[in-house]
Formats: sequence, structure tokens, C-alpha cells
Amino acid sequence: MKLIFQYLQKHLGIFLLSTSFLIMEAMADLLQPTLMSAIVDEGIKNASVRQILFYGAVMLGIAATGAVCAVMRNRFASRVSQTVGKEMRRDMYRNVGKLSMENIDRLRPDSIITRITNDVAQVQEFINGIMRIMVKAPVTCIGAIILIMVQTPGQAPVMAAIIFVVALLILANMRIGYPRFGTVQKRIDRLNGVSREFLSSVRVVKAFGAQEEETKKFEEVSLALAASNTAALRTMAVFSPLINLAVNFGIVLLLWIYGNGQSGEIGKLMASVNYMTQVLFAVNMISNTLNTAVRATASAERIQEVLDEKPSQVFAANPLMPQIMGDIRFEGVSFAYAGAGKETLHNIELHIHAGETVGIIGATGSGKTTFVNLVPRFYDATKGRIWIDGCDITQIDAVHLRASIAVVPQKALLFSGTVRENLQWGRADAADDELRMAAGIACAEEFIEKSKEGYDTILGQGGVNLSGGQKQRLSIARALVRRPRILILDDCTSALDAQTEAKVLSGLRKMTDNMTVLLVSQRISTVMRADTILCMDNGYVQGYGSHEELMKTCSAYRKIFQSQIGVGEEADYG
Amino acid sequence: MAEKNGGIPPANLNGISRPGRGAVVVKPKNMKGTLARLWRLTKGQRKGLGWILLLSALASAASILSPYVTGRAVNAVQNKDALFTVLACLAGLYATDWLVKFLQAFFMALIGQRVIHHIRRTLFGHMKTLPLSFFDRHRHGELMSRLTNDVDNISTTISNSLTLLLTYGFTITGIFVMMLFLSPLLTMVSLFGVGVIFLLTKTITKRTRKLFSQQQKSLGALNGQVEESISGLSLIKAFGREEEMEREFGKKNEELCSVSVKALICSGYLMPLMNVVNNLLYVAISVLSGILFVNGRITDIGLVTSFLLYVRQFTRPFVEIANIYNNFQTAVAGAERVFEIMDELPEPPDKEGALQLAFPRGDIAFCHVGFGYETGKPVLKDISLRIPAGTQVAIVGATGSGKTTIINLLTRFYDVSSGSILLDGSDIRDYRMEDLRKAFGVVLQDTALFAASIRENISYGHPGACMEEVQKAAKTAGADSFIERLPKGYDTVLDSGGMELSQGERQLLTIARAVLADAPILILDEATSSVDTVTEQKIRRAMLKICKDRTSIIIAHRLSTIRDSDLIILLEDGRIAEQGSHKELMERNGRYAQMYRTQTNMRAADSM
Repeated sequence: MKLIFQYLQKHLGIFLLSTSFLIMEAMADLLQPTLMSAIVDEGIKNASVRQILFYGAVMLGIAATGAVCAVMRNRFASRVSQTVGKEMRRDMYRNVGKLSMENIDRLRPDSIITRITNDVAQVQEFINGIMRIMVKAPVTCIGAIILIMVQTPGQAPVMAAIIFVVALLILANMRIGYPRFGTVQKRIDRLNGVSREFLSSVRVVKAFGAQEEETKKFEEVSLALAASNTAALRTMAVFSPLINLAVNFGIVLLLWIYGNGQSGEIGKLMASVNYMTQVLFAVNMISNTLNTAVRATASAERIQEVLDEKPSQVFAANPLMPQIMGDIRFEGVSFAYAGAGKETLHNIELHIHAGETVGIIGATGSGKTTFVNLVPRFYDATKGRIWIDGCDITQIDAVHLRASIAVVPQKALLFSGTVRENLQWGRADAADDELRMAAGIACAEEFIEKSKEGYDTILGQGGVNLSGGQKQRLSIARALVRRPRILILDDCTSALDAQTEAKVLSGLRKMTDNMTVLLVSQRISTVMRADTILCMDNGYVQGYGSHEELMKTCSAYRKIFQSQIGVGEEADYG
Repeated sequence: MAEKNGGIPPANLNGISRPGRGAVVVKPKNMKGTLARLWRLTKGQRKGLGWILLLSALASAASILSPYVTGRAVNAVQNKDALFTVLACLAGLYATDWLVKFLQAFFMALIGQRVIHHIRRTLFGHMKTLPLSFFDRHRHGELMSRLTNDVDNISTTISNSLTLLLTYGFTITGIFVMMLFLSPLLTMVSLFGVGVIFLLTKTITKRTRKLFSQQQKSLGALNGQVEESISGLSLIKAFGREEEMEREFGKKNEELCSVSVKALICSGYLMPLMNVVNNLLYVAISVLSGILFVNGRITDIGLVTSFLLYVRQFTRPFVEIANIYNNFQTAVAGAERVFEIMDELPEPPDKEGALQLAFPRGDIAFCHVGFGYETGKPVLKDISLRIPAGTQVAIVGATGSGKTTIINLLTRFYDVSSGSILLDGSDIRDYRMEDLRKAFGVVLQDTALFAASIRENISYGHPGACMEEVQKAAKTAGADSFIERLPKGYDTVLDSGGMELSQGERQLLTIARAVLADAPILILDEATSSVDTVTEQKIRRAMLKICKDRTSIIIAHRLSTIRDSDLIILLEDGRIAEQGSHKELMERNGRYAQMYRTQTNMRAADSM
């Protein structure tokens, strides 16, 4: 809640303006029944057209004022709620942009996305709601009660009793209804889970002929959901007519008291009845917005979490901007992912010279990706230091450092826009020739030029209209356009067939003569030709040297070699 | 939230009813037909539905009568006669109203949910019979929301708006009759007011609808941008694109904000204007009835009271009906999308007199098989090959050469376009589907596991298996050692469908699953593609063990995995380019030999 008020504070002026219009609007509404009663009591009953016209004119005037107020209130309220939403989204987005990958891992990307989209929408709805109902309902409620008491003081006790009963009913409704709706939510999640599972493993289901079991599972959760829904809806079925009944009986009571009393102004009676119903609506509205309040509070908390998140990396106050040549030295580097408990990298000690190509091989989970992720400072070492061209990496300006590095990630990610725009991520001012050359080396030229629009082909979100292999090739080309000093290739040829892969790799070799290249792969054939090979296992460096050296000294490397290429093969084809 | 105010005498309801916010109307293509189909799906619940309709008619009767009785009561108060009787009448009316509303909602809670469950069940029941091509064509997220939210929304919206439309229909007619009965002249005046309100609603909602659909569009654009940039954040950082992304986000954010404000402001005009018209009507009727009163044409103050109450109630439904009808249309259009799925053709049923396949030997033959997922784009062209029972065959080739398609055809996930596939000498289309699928044990590329215990996962497709059998299968697959290391062993529940296990471990479980199924023909589709070499060796050993004495078909990227197969088939561009044993193919020194060398040794490839 605090968060919402913080943001509202920035628009306090408009907010208050909107609230004052709202109060005027509510008062205009409240005056209507009184004026109606005046029309009846003083006009119709006395058959005085003049009086009717007079009160009618006043009533219309007030209604028009009320309408103007409502329109103004709506203008301001809409502006405030939408602007607050916009600002929340903007602030979250900015903060997320500043966060380190460690923070992102912890918050989980999909959760951040829902927070920026759904949660903000929830809060927006709520703010709109407060300005419409949360303020109006109490004003109407209190105003109506006061008016009834002033105009017909004899009815105060009845009114109090009715309001008390209605309040009790609403409370009971919430008490019983809330947990039931909670159950519904849980069962919806289960139904979703079962459906997702069925859809994502439909091949297996069919192959094993398990349709009947899946049907049984699905029907069970669907039935459970229906049952809990019925239970939840039934609380509503009991309570909401009861609330109506209470108020209606209140009206009968009012009429009864009126009839037995002496005051005979029929218009006032009508006004009282009118006020009663206004109170009822206000109360109903409050209970409805309470639901949104609960949800909005939860959303606000989730938003706050994102806003409060501080980058876990510390950036130097006066960062260095050395010319990056590509000399990388790891000095006793260990790394553990936050909350993982155990280290992913242990005491890595090695020196990569500028211009060298290092092949990195090892089993899944051996720490290859983690190792290369330390170089562009996606993460910081938990122990030890990394030196780039003799400067401590944590002292170098991160943007400056990354400007000299190009990464081709395992999962090729492209962004919506044209092929050209995507390639120009590498360098904004890269000319078409350069793009074409990079695409050529990455073996992407052929399919780009085959498509009708060529480099202007528009890619959907995440490059959905491309195959996995095409995405990988574009992703490699994008990195080449950057002409980096350090090129990181993280197992980025997995979706290419052997021929294309060989072609891409030999093309790369020609282009990367004076680049430092970190080439991660699971295939030994891919890394064998590198200047130096880093063989990793379980976060430890098992061997670091040329292929021949490692064959002699490193048993882990030999084992991989034998399993992939075989014992006798080397002699045949080596 | 639908309004619940039916039984209350009309009051000044300004600003409470919500105009259709965010309503983007989608028109159904065939309203009548879809409704008829929906009606058919309510079978078994129709009696209940009939009761509910009857109750809503009763409920509107109560709300039609109550202003009249209120007017009588006012007269009674005025003239101090028979007050008790009238008030008792009124109380009785309210009580009836309460009872009817309660019963209606109470039954609706049960019957509505039953209908939803029934539709959902029918949909799922149909979905499971659909061929794989259907699932490949549709995005899973979309299908999922059809099964869950959509069914719910559609049925709720349709039943709600239907009852509301009915109730309003009754109410409007009833009130109109009552008003005519009270004073035809005043009724004419009211009709004029209704006309104005109707026009007003129409003009405003026409404009808001356009704005709201624009809002929906910019919201989609913004969400897409957020999704893309957050999930690709490390890349954005690596390429230093933070500023560009933020600028683009800012632009979309601004756009959304301004169009939303416009839409909200526009839709905010409706209620206040309506209020003014309502009040105008009220004054007009008051003035008129005052004049009539003076002229002695009306003598009854209660009549005026009742009439004024009726006018208020009369105009309200007109505002809402438009909205409700729009929601109704959108829901019917949603139902059409659900029916589209139900109209998809299921897998062809078994032929009459389909062959039983109790103990297949596993002798497979492809005769001139041709196939394409889309017409005009053949994936397999004239494939002929023979796999004798008990042999191990490997299919290799570049991505897109048609390896997985062969498996898809063999298991009849898809049917051949031309030619035929024979199993034990008969066309596979002549067997009973159930038997045919049971003949294959499949280990697929994606290691789909279920949110159940490890034991249940291994015995998937063979649910009756005892613990010993499960353990034996795990042992054969080489999965026993890691399972037994887990604190709960075989009872470990894979909550997230196995994401807590490593890729290799998941793969071993799927192999164990295939082992337990004990099918005569084994299919391993790239079972080791994303696994490290040590695990790969484990899996290979397991494969060798279980492939013994069975026909087995292995698809592999890494040629080192399949060197020992009896027959290696190299697919290129949907045709068989080469076939033979590893030795034969290496001696032939063709495409396979070249590929093999490229994969095992770069230097050899370079020197060529």
C-alpha cells in the first residue's frame, strides 16, 4: 500500500482535484432524492406547477453540475491511474536493466515479466477504483445517513440496525467465501498443470497408449474444480440475496414507522427509501473493492520487490577504460551461484593470451558456461580475481568492457525487427557490406538472400519464424559484426548439421586471427583445433594445453576423446 | 461483477453501473448454429436449466410488482388505511424475491459448473483422439487456455448474459405494461427518454470500443517488448543495448498510457450524461403529473410515486442490454473457437475387421513411401527399406533430412501420403491402432516426464507393474544407481516434470520407461543428443542391452553412437543416399565416410 501512496503523492495535486470533484459529484447525487421529495411534497401534492418547475430546474442544474464533476473526476482519475501505472512500469524496467544477472536469476525472468505487466495492471485498476468507489462509497454512505437523520430523525435506530445487519452479513460472506475462492484458485492451477503436461507430452501419451489414464487424471481435476467452484458460488448465492433482503425489510420497516407516526410528507418517505438503497449500494461496492484491495496489495508488494532489488554487483566509482586487447587472466577464481550452496567453479588459475583461441570442453554441468559468463561480467567471481589486460575486471567500466566482447549464447536469441536491425546489434553503424560478410561467414547469407525481403525480412518476437539452425547462424553473424576483441561462442552450433558446422568453424578461424576466442563445445572435434584446450570437470580445470599435451597428460580429456572418436580411429583418420 | 440490485426499488443509481470497460467485441460467425451446439451440450442438465429460467421469470415478476405495491403503500401511509395489509404484501413480495434469487443462484452454482465440467470433459476427450499433426500445428499455450479459462468464461458469460437478457426482457415488458396501465400519457414521455438514452449509449460505446481495441493493441505491443527484453537481458547487456531498449520501452509505455487515458475518459462520459437524461425525464414526468394533478386528471399520489419508480427501472436495462449483448457475442465467438477444436478430425478409426497384433515379430518394410507435412512440400520421397526382425538399424542425416519423420510414420503419428509401411507383412494401417502403438517402445528427443513419482513415471503405459518390475527396468536402463541415491528413492515425486533431475538422468528414466513397456520394437530418437559423454556412454550401454533380440531403430546426430548397428541408413533430402554397415559405408568412402570424418576429426575434413 505504501508504494501506491508514494506514487500517488507525485500526482497529489491532480489526485486531490479528482477527489474533490468526486465529493462534489457524490453530494450532487445525494441532493437528488431530497429535491425529488420536494417536487412531490411541495409541487405535486400542492398541484403547484411553478414549484415543480422551480425544484425541477434546481434538480437539473445540480444533476448537470454533478455530471460535469463526474466527467472531470473521470478525466483526472484516468490520467492519474494510467500515469502511475506508466511510471511504475518505467521504474521497474529501468531498475531491472541495472540489475545483475544474479538478481535476475533469483527473481526469475518470467516472474519479472508478470510483475511489470499484470501486477501493474492490477494496481492501476485499484487506483482507478479508489478514486471511483473507495472515496465515493463512504461519502455517499455517511451523507445518506446524515440526511436521513436530519430529515427524519425518528428513523435513526432502524437505520443503525439495518446497517449493522448488513455489515455482519458482508463480514460473514467474506469469512466463508474467501477460503473457498482460495481453493478454487488452487484447483485452477492444478487443472492448468495437468493440461500443460498433457499437451507437452502428447507424443509420449500416444506412444504409450495412455490416453485413458490422462483422461482420468484430467476429469478428476476438472471435477474437483467444478465442486469447489460450486461451493464458492453458493456462498455468494446465500449471502448476496440476504443482503438485499435485509435492506428491503428495512424499507418496509421505514414505511411502517412512517405510517404510524404523524409526519405525513410522502416525498420525504420516498427520499428515505432512496437513501437506504444508496447506502446499500455503497456498502456493496466497498465489499467488492475490498477484494481488489487485497489483490492490489499483493501486487504492490511484488512490484516493490523488483524496485527494491539492488544490483548484486558493485561497480567501481571511477572505472578504468583501458584499451581492451583480449588478455585474460584468472587468478584463483571460484564461483558459486547465489543460493546454490556449492561452488560451480573451483580455484581456476589460467592465462589466456590476446589473440589465442581456447576450446573449452567438459560434461554438462562442468562449469563451461559459467566460466565464460565471468568474462563479460555477467557474474562476479566469489573468490579470486580476473584480470583483463592487466586491469582488475571489477575496476573496468562494464559498458566499455562489453563493447569489446561479443557473445553467442547457447540459446540463440533474436529480437523483433528486421534481420538487418538484428545484425546491427553488433555495431549500430555497420554497413551492408560488413553485414553481408558476417552473414557469409556464419553461413546465414544463403537463407537470408533466399527470402523475399532479404535483410529487411521482419523477424517476429524471439525470431519465431526461423528454424533453430537459422537463428544460431544469425546469432553468430551478429557477434561477428561487432568485430570484438574477445569472442565468446557458447556451444552455439548445436542445431547445425556437421557440414554446416565445419564450414562455419573454418570461416571463423580465418576471421578471428587477432581475436581472443573462447569456444565452448561438447564435441571434441569442435575444440580439437583450438590453440589451447581447457578441459573442465565438475568446476575444476582438469587440463589446459594443446590437444597433444592433453592427450598425454589429461585422463579426463582422453576419456572424452575415446568416447567420441574411439581408440583406433585416431590412427586411421588423425 | 454483475450488479445485484434486482429486488430493490429503483433509486438514484448514478455512477454505479459500469459501462463496458475494455470490451472488445468479437462477432461470432454463426450465432444460431453455435448456440444450438451449446444447447446440445447441456443435455442432462436441461431440467435444472428450465427451473433456473422459470426462477428468473419469477424474479423479474417480483421486481415488476414491487414499485406498484410501494406506491400502494405510499397511498396507505398517506391515507392511513389498511397500511398493515399493504406492507405485509410488500414484505411478502420482498421475501419471495429473496427466495427466488437465492434458489436461482444456488442451483446455477451447481448446474453451471456441471455444464462447464461436461464441456471441458468433452473437449479433452476429443482432443486426446486428435492426430499429432493437430498438436504440432497449434501453440500449446493457446490450447491450454481453451481447455481451462475459455471453457469457464464462455459458459459463465453465456449463461449469465442469457439469464440477464431474459430477466431484462421480462422486466422491460412487465414494466412497460404496468406503466401503460398507470398512465399512457406519462408512458409516452418515458419512451421518448428511453430513445435518447439508447442513442447516447450507442454513440459513446461506438467510440469507446475503437479506443479500447487500440488500447488492447498497444498493451500487446508493450507486453511483447517486455517479454523479449527481460528474457534476453544478458544479451542486451552484452551488446550494450540497454539505452535503445529503454527508449523503445518508453515509447510503447507512453503510447499505452495515452490511449488508455483516452479510452477511459471517453467511456466516462456515458454515466454522467445518462444521469442528466434520467433526471430530465424525472423532472418532465413530475411537471407533467403536477399539471395532471392540477387538472384533476390524476388524484392518486401513490400512482405518481409508482410511476416515478418505474421510470427509473425502465431506463436502466437499456443501458446494460447493449453491453450484455456484446459480452454475449464475444462469448459465443469464443465458443466457436472451442467448437473448432471439436470439429477437428480425430485419428482415423480402425478399419473394420482390423488385424490384431498380439505378438509382433518386428519385421518392418517401407515400400516406396512418400510423405509431406504440407502438400507440395515432400519430406520423404520414395523410401524403400527392409528391417528384418531382431536387427538394429540406425538412421543418420543432416537436420531436416527426414529422420524423425520416419519414426512419425512408423508409429502412425502421421500416415503416409503414398506407398505403404508393412509390419510382419501387413500394412500398418490394417492393424488396430492400440495394438500397433503397443508394439513400439519409444524414447524420444524431448524427455517428457510427468509430475508423478519416479515409480509411476517408469510404469507409465504399464500402470499395473509391480515394484520389482520397475526396479528391474531401472536397472536395465542403468537408472537404478541415481534413483537409489535420492532420499525417497522410487517414491521421489517429480514436481516439475523432472526439471530437478539432470538431462541425462531424465533420459535414463525415459529409457527405463521404454524397457518396462517391453515392446518388441524399440525406437530411440536422438536419445543422447544433449547429454555429456560420460552419461552418453551409460545410455549407450543401456541401449545395447535392451536392443538385444529386438528390432531397434536409432536416430543419432553423433555417428560415434551408432557404429555397431547392423544397418546404417543415410538420409539426404528425404531420400536414402547410402545404406550398409559402418564398415561397408566407410569402405565406399562416400557421403557417410565424409560425414564421419568431419565429425570425428576436423583435420581430416580440412585436408579434403
